[in-house]
Amino acid sequence: MQWKLSIFSLLLFLSGIKACAQQGSDAVAGPDTLWQRKSSLERVERMRSRWNRIFPSQLVVQNAGNMGVVSAGVGWSYGCRRQWETALLAGFIPRHQSDCAKMTMTLKQNYMPWRIALGDRWHFEPLRFGLYVNTVFGEQFWGEQPHRYPANYYGFSTRYRLNVCLGSQLHFLIPSGRNRSAFERVGLFYEVSTCDLYFRSKVLGGNLSWSDILGLSLGIALQL
Amino acid sequence: MTSRSFEYLSAAVPHFCRLFSRAVIALTLFSSCEDAFDIHPYDVDYSGPLHLNAAQITRIEQSCADKDTIRVAVISDTHDWYTEMEREIDDINRRDDIDFVMHLGDLTNTGMIKEYEWARKRLLRLQKPFVTIIGNHDHLGTGDEAYDAIFGERDFSFIAGRIKFLCLNTNAGEYDYMADVPDFSFIQREAVRDSSRFDRTFVAMHIPPFCDQFNNNVSLAFRVWLDLLPGLYCCAFGHNHRTYADTLYHDGLVFYGVGSAEKRQYRIFTFTPDKYAVEVVDF
Repeated sequence: MQWKLSIFSLLLFLSGIKACAQQGSDAVAGPDTLWQRKSSLERVERMRSRWNRIFPSQLVVQNAGNMGVVSAGVGWSYGCRRQWETALLAGFIPRHQSDCAKMTMTLKQNYMPWRIALGDRWHFEPLRFGLYVNTVFGEQFWGEQPHRYPANYYGFSTRYRLNVCLGSQLHFLIPSGRNRSAFERVGLFYEVSTCDLYFRSKVLGGNLSWSDILGLSLGIALQL
Repeated sequence: MTSRSFEYLSAAVPHFCRLFSRAVIALTLFSSCEDAFDIHPYDVDYSGPLHLNAAQITRIEQSCADKDTIRVAVISDTHDWYTEMEREIDDINRRDDIDFVMHLGDLTNTGMIKEYEWARKRLLRLQKPFVTIIGNHDHLGTGDEAYDAIFGERDFSFIAGRIKFLCLNTNAGEYDYMADVPDFSFIQREAVRDSSRFDRTFVAMHIPPFCDQFNNNVSLAFRVWLDLLPGLYCCAFGHNHRTYADTLYHDGLVFYGVGSAEKRQYRIFTFTPDKYAVEVVDF
């Protein structure tokens, strides 16, 4: 955990240096010619637009889906028809009968191949296919089995789960105008998902129904 | 583009907070309809019958109170083999002469909430009362907490007829060998507790002594402690998925291995005041 934080802070630090260097070169630009000024401004603009690209374009909140009671985070939609989405979500599992509540983190990739316009305001995406990795925080979960076990004893991780989901999404385009909301559109979606271990049980375990291993999830995506 | 995003963001904050909090509340409420929504494999929100061992033990102690002969079906390691587990349970249900059933652990493969529910649903189909011992797989993730909620204490005992059935948690590896597993003080206490109500003892566990995850630093001490138990018949264990018998300490005390559901075998122990008999059932 510590080294991950260090890498993150190093990146943050380096990006700061880069921004300072950029500002510095702006201030001490040698001969104050129009040409040089323009190029410098263009460079700043270019950099800003690059930064802008990594600025999230969505706020996502959804329930269940093996990520916690509710999870929320940011997402990026991209592709020529915005058919791809990547989301980073933090989830919460309440304490209930266990010792403590737990946090989870999810990296999710969605693909929506089709979009059907239903009038001016509504769009429907009939298929929403997603693949996501969920990690749950807590010392009782491990990525790789601890050394106390015989080699290759437990051939799975209790911390990381690979999930797959299928669903649909309905978009509402918020009308632009003076009282326009801060969001461009609202997406309401559902997903039916399962995880690697459930699927494994279904394949190996025999008498389990699909409803035993599949779960529903509902969510809202707000597009900036 | 940049200014547009920031402008929107600043305008969005209060709006977003309102919308977001409503969405979170609504979606959390939805999640409480737990059959349709899967919260997390290691969520520990159990409903349905809980503290099963205590409730089942009451049934066992009542139904066996005045019996001289006790017949017990012993099954083990049903994880991942739900079809076989169902057949095993059907086979036991067809017998009238069984007093109760013991499951020697590993109900689950990974300790997930769903696996516990799948196993519990099937165990509850047993017509006779049953008790369940914790296995090493049942500890994984939040599995140990799930076991506590659904079944109860990890070390427990009960008296059927005039026999004490001592059920021990021997999964020392799951505690990194840092806990009182097996719990010697528990064995010592149980040897004398309610001593007027029993003359003989039977010990059941998941992992046998000298096996990979037993605390083998105390294997010999464990044998000494077993001698504290009045009239010990024999011991039974699961874990190895094989049906076999061994005198692990080469001293006449027999340890009976109970096969996994996959092997389609279980054992029936018949205890009478002066002896016991064991049979292997193929189903």
